[in-house]
Amino acid sequence: MSGFAIAITGFGVLLALMALRLPIGLAMMLVGGVGYIQLNGLDPFLNYIRTTPYQIFANYTLSVIPLFVLMGAFAERSGLAGDLFKAASAVVGHRRGGLGMAVIGACTGFGAICGSAVATTATFSRAALPELRRYRYDPGFSCGVVAVGGTLGILIPPSVILVVYAISTEQNIAKLFKAALIPGLMAAAFYCVTIALMTRRHPEWAPAQPRVAWRDRIRPLLGIIPAMVVAIIVVGGIYGGVFTPTEGASVGAFVMLAIGVLRGTLSPSAIREAILQTAETSAMIFAILLGAEIFNAFLALTQVPTAAAEMIAASGFAPYTVLVGLLLFYIVLGGVMDELAMILLTLPVFFPIVTALDFGMPTDDVAIWFGILVLIVVGIGMTCPPIGLNVFVVASLARDVPVTSIYRGVLPFVLSDVVRLGIVVAFPALTLYLVKLLE
Amino acid sequence: MAQNRGEAAPSAFERIVKGVALLGGVLLITLSVTVVTSVTLRSDLVGAAGVPGDFELVQIATAIAAFCFLPWCQLRRGNIFVDTFTLKLPERWQRRIDAVWDIVYALVMALIAWRLAVGARAAFGTGETSMVLLVPSYLPIGLCAGLAMLVCVSAVVSARRLLRTAA
Repeated sequence: MSGFAIAITGFGVLLALMALRLPIGLAMMLVGGVGYIQLNGLDPFLNYIRTTPYQIFANYTLSVIPLFVLMGAFAERSGLAGDLFKAASAVVGHRRGGLGMAVIGACTGFGAICGSAVATTATFSRAALPELRRYRYDPGFSCGVVAVGGTLGILIPPSVILVVYAISTEQNIAKLFKAALIPGLMAAAFYCVTIALMTRRHPEWAPAQPRVAWRDRIRPLLGIIPAMVVAIIVVGGIYGGVFTPTEGASVGAFVMLAIGVLRGTLSPSAIREAILQTAETSAMIFAILLGAEIFNAFLALTQVPTAAAEMIAASGFAPYTVLVGLLLFYIVLGGVMDELAMILLTLPVFFPIVTALDFGMPTDDVAIWFGILVLIVVGIGMTCPPIGLNVFVVASLARDVPVTSIYRGVLPFVLSDVVRLGIVVAFPALTLYLVKLLE
Repeated sequence: MAQNRGEAAPSAFERIVKGVALLGGVLLITLSVTVVTSVTLRSDLVGAAGVPGDFELVQIATAIAAFCFLPWCQLRRGNIFVDTFTLKLPERWQRRIDAVWDIVYALVMALIAWRLAVGARAAFGTGETSMVLLVPSYLPIGLCAGLAMLVCVSAVVSARRLLRTAA
């Protein structure tokens, strides 16, 4: 069999096994391992896994992942999300749909201290959803707002997904974090506009709240200070080159723990819970990373990634056609597959393809820009039916709301995401401007 | 692990696995404190040298923490899989399929544990150490081999649990 045929067979078997409930990381280890042995023999493979499982985890940059997960787990239990929401609703709560916008605003702030969409969604399902329901907001709409707001956890840096992208494509985490900021803030603005448009059409979804006097807004506004201090230290430190991402994440986890303990919100049992949650989430990511490493070693042996890149570059397709095709493929695949696994599985083939295309800018810029596009698509996949992870998180915490009505609530926001994706595709400067400015 | 001794044995095992995960978390927090110390020492405020070997400490601690977390994730069945295409199957059959994959995972982890142990022995033979702190390489690699074995046992335990409820 040619390398191409073996690679196609490998992908086919992998997808079939995954459809049969084989955990994704394990599926990649198995197929990658068998393919490796097929191409290179048993002894080289045994030699390869003698060092790889340790080497892949003994990686300075990789430590960013559990540290940011830990920081998010502490943040989730610190009570800061409730403070952010109170402050935001004091400012915009009296507008039509204002509490929904307050959720988006608070998620934006929380996104700057938490790198995970699921953690952000879970946090605001607890901190904001009961409030929205109390003020008679439409249940499906409220849950949709929280599910979409949760994606700001990854869209606003720090972002675990971007770290995974950086590790698997050997890009600079700090640059990706800089590039993500403008598109992330755009997302928040687009969500607020969507809320304004939706509640204008359906005023019954979002009853207006009494206006809060300016005097009474000051106290809640002071509540955002701790979260903003942490965000400025961690993200600002990474932006300014004061810290490596590992150092930023360490400082973040440590400061968040300190704030939680000083505020009295992080009891010893809450710390234990945060650690166990971190253990489960990080190990889930690590297992997929290990699988992806073995699977990619196999793919590299088939030489398909480079061949595919050369083929497409020589095919005469316009670069933007290829790019849009890949992004559409991601949106469809994200509907049925876990987003993290999706990018780890496809990047070894897609990344060389995209960076081989001529977009009229340096390859390094294309790599950063593509990372942000992938991030936007991942965000869409997390809220899009049939498998939107964030929607499931909200549904598990708001058991009286049917999943279908949450999806209905999410849909207008997904449309706004697609518009935003189009804008960021059309204007790479939206991602690259800050990278250049902060260099 | 003793077999067929009812619920007591797995729950003791679960406590061990949970304890290992918590130790991994403590290691991670210690790592962050070390890095914070190092950053503070190196900053203009203090202007001293950082904690020596902080780079390799991070590497070693990350690898050990990762392997401390994996058994817990397996016992909680936290690994991601696609269930879209099997939702129509009776739950009993879903459990049986999951149990089969857990056994496969156990075998893969046993293989990895064996290879890591071989790697650790080789590192012991050559006397390889880390660059700055001269930590012998066989220590962390050997520890990870042991923890990989714990993942293997966790997968067997969770497979047994699934089969018991699928009967």
